[in-house]
Amino acid sequence: MGEDRALMIEVINLHKYFKDHHVLKGLNQKVYKSEVVAMIGPSGAGKSTFLRCLNRLEEPSLGKILIEGTDITATRTDINKVRTEIGMVFQSFNLFPHLTALQNIKLAPINVRRMSEKDAEERGRQLLKKVGLQEKANAYPDQLSGGQQQRVAIARALAMQPHMIFFDEPTSALDPEMIREVLDVMDNLAKEGMTMLVVSHEIGFIREAATRILVLADGCIIEEGTPNEVLKHPQHSRTQDFLSKIV
Amino acid sequence: MANSKLTPIRESFAKRYRARFGHLPWFKRYEYLIPLSIIILLIGLLLLPPLGKPAPLQWLWIGVFLILLILWVVGILTDIEKPRWIRAIAAISFVFVLGFFFYRYSGAQWDKLTTNFFNLSVMEGLWGDLGQGLLMTLKVALVSMCISLALGLVIAILRSLNNPILNVFLIIYIDFFRAIPLIVLVVFVFYALPFLGIELDPYISAVVAVSLSYAAYVAEVIRAGIESIYRGQVEASRALGLSSMQTMRLVILPQAVRVVIPPTTGLMVGLLKDTALTTIIGLPELLYKGIQNTIWQSNPTPLVAAAVLYILVLLPLTRFSGYLETRSKKWVKTAR
Repeated sequence: MGEDRALMIEVINLHKYFKDHHVLKGLNQKVYKSEVVAMIGPSGAGKSTFLRCLNRLEEPSLGKILIEGTDITATRTDINKVRTEIGMVFQSFNLFPHLTALQNIKLAPINVRRMSEKDAEERGRQLLKKVGLQEKANAYPDQLSGGQQQRVAIARALAMQPHMIFFDEPTSALDPEMIREVLDVMDNLAKEGMTMLVVSHEIGFIREAATRILVLADGCIIEEGTPNEVLKHPQHSRTQDFLSKIV
Repeated sequence: MANSKLTPIRESFAKRYRARFGHLPWFKRYEYLIPLSIIILLIGLLLLPPLGKPAPLQWLWIGVFLILLILWVVGILTDIEKPRWIRAIAAISFVFVLGFFFYRYSGAQWDKLTTNFFNLSVMEGLWGDLGQGLLMTLKVALVSMCISLALGLVIAILRSLNNPILNVFLIIYIDFFRAIPLIVLVVFVFYALPFLGIELDPYISAVVAVSLSYAAYVAEVIRAGIESIYRGQVEASRALGLSSMQTMRLVILPQAVRVVIPPTTGLMVGLLKDTALTTIIGLPELLYKGIQNTIWQSNPTPLVAAAVLYILVLLPLTRFSGYLETRSKKWVKTAR
């Protein structure tokens, strides 16, 4: 599937050690344009670490990662440049508390993309509208609910016009009634054809939006396939066990 | 007839009183406290000895008075339900009575103390000279503040790079200048550096010594501020493609500054006071002037006057630091 589309991410034999702890045990994976790849698996399986290795928030110990053909593990690669093409949304939002919602969104376009103040402002307001928060432009993060903060965080990631976005458990720190508003924004992004890697256990969202599921356990991808295959007919016993616990 | 009208009111007052205060232990109730206040007042007015060292028997009355007063104060202050103003009166009057007793019965020579330490006639014509000293103190302090803040910030940022080789030098700097007594440093800069070919006048020596020493303290405070910023802030910033220097400038420092302002203001108070140590190299600052005039007048009043000037300059600064602290507490909490 999708072989004719552009190859966005290629991971070859990725290993990650934390001291003696072998977290990722030789992962291989290809992600094509407009794919929405959901990663599920028990805690400690290495989902987040895998995601964070892909933009080198964690240094890979061994192996190769190609982002749009650029080897990001090579020493001469300018990682800051690669990161501008990758949006990242965190579990704990990580908005900058000293800046308003709009300033949070404008910061990177102005300072990294060298966009003019005016253009950045306009882009910021458009994005806030897109996530349904146009009236919160001048609110500080501590004046926003968790769901609103996460939507601003998504807008902040989008402001750089990234080619792909990584979501690291974007809804696990939210109260149940706020999860929906964040998932709706993500749903729309998926429909627009954004390439997305999502670590999440929102099975409803995965069934709707994901094109592919990776099941990780103990640092290995133990199963992969379409949501239909994996969720309805899991092959691996650990997948069956895991799904029976969360669904 | 009249009686039957009065009785229910009385009963209801007693009832209301019991309902309102009945749960209090006896020593907090007004039926104990009010007679006690009257007894204390009577002893105070009639039985306390006059000014001067009391005779042994008179000490007895002072003792009885104080014990009763303590019982009275404890009864009032341990009851948080008592109106604020009553508790305030109790506390203030207790402190006031203690001070008054000390003044009246300690046998201190108040007149001699005044002519020696608070003799305004000695100060005639000296205020200008002390003012000169104050100006020099402020000059050294302000210049040293600017230098130590800038240098401390640079050191803190360099330390946050976590370069192991650089860190060795920075840690040596910080530990050395924090450990060496400032007065020794002042002497060293002024008297020892000339042998190395560096001759500095007292003013420059003072600024150099104070700045170097306080830069080390400032660096540690700012570093703590930088480290208090949640790791996710750095990750979010780097993930957006900002470089590590941009992250420091745009994300970390603006947040760290708010954390760091109160302790840094405290350090600056200390810096201004510590400029007094430069007296030892003959810099004509406030303490120097105070000591010099004390010797010339053979009276320590100028020294007291210098102390008063220090306090007048520093009180606003310490209050300001307290204000910033309460203000930033709210902010720091929401930064998480």
